[in-house]
Amino acid sequence: MDGPDEIIHQSTRLKIAATLNALPSGESLEFGKLKNMLGATDGNMATHLGALEKAGYIAVEKDFVGKKPRTRMSLTRAGRKAFHRHVAYLRDLLEGG
Amino acid sequence: MNVTRDEAAQALDDISKASDRVVKLKGYHYGAPHFIVWGFVWLFANTITEFWPQYTQNAWISLLAVGMISSTVLGVLQRRNVKPGPAASVNARIGRRIGMTSGVMFAFIFCLMLIAQPETNREANAMISILFPFLYMCAGLWAGWRLFAIGFVTAAAILVGYYYVKDWFDLWMGVFAGGSLIAGGIWLRTA
Repeated sequence: MDGPDEIIHQSTRLKIAATLNALPSGESLEFGKLKNMLGATDGNMATHLGALEKAGYIAVEKDFVGKKPRTRMSLTRAGRKAFHRHVAYLRDLLEGG
Repeated sequence: MNVTRDEAAQALDDISKASDRVVKLKGYHYGAPHFIVWGFVWLFANTITEFWPQYTQNAWISLLAVGMISSTVLGVLQRRNVKPGPAASVNARIGRRIGMTSGVMFAFIFCLMLIAQPETNREANAMISILFPFLYMCAGLWAGWRLFAIGFVTAAAILVGYYYVKDWFDLWMGVFAGGSLIAGGIWLRTA
């Protein structure tokens, strides 16, 4: 059994990864929506998104809608694999005892 | 790094809840245009009933047909554009069942009209119309509180109009009941 993914296992990062994983393939989620869904603060979100981006688990796109800046996140292929491996680890841990 | 069984269970619960939230939001987005379509059906049909009562029957038959065709086409387009993912399969199943439920409800309404035999157009309009907001409230208990809220506000608008705006009831229904569906659909899109 592979060990836990230490990047993803942190509570807020796990919720970020789970939320992005649940999106249809190829879709991204805006920073504000993700923050509201998780009930997190701007600073908290920025810290954890930075860690996930540094690990290559999420892709961050920045653009403008009119004059308003927009930041969107999506899970990368590596991020999706890491998330699924981590979920498998958690399930094995519960089932295996 | 050591993860305890309790931590693993909590983590899996958090994952499940996060996934459920996404499914709910995608459901809101898929449902939004349907609410808007039916809001406009109510708005136009009731307005025609109020100001041109001689066209009431044709207006309702035509606009209901437009509503059903529009919802069907929207559903087909939404299914085609959906990309794979957990939310997609759940919402596709829900969408099909909503379509079938609507068919069942129209049959129910037909039977209700046969049995209850409303004496006035106002009674008939209110009886038929109030069924749907209660359906939305039921759906909301399962699929998200915004649906419940839309149903509640729409039902309240119908009751207020039925008891307190008798002389302009059809117009009230169009503007406030139809309007609440349109506003509700727009609100769902912002979720």
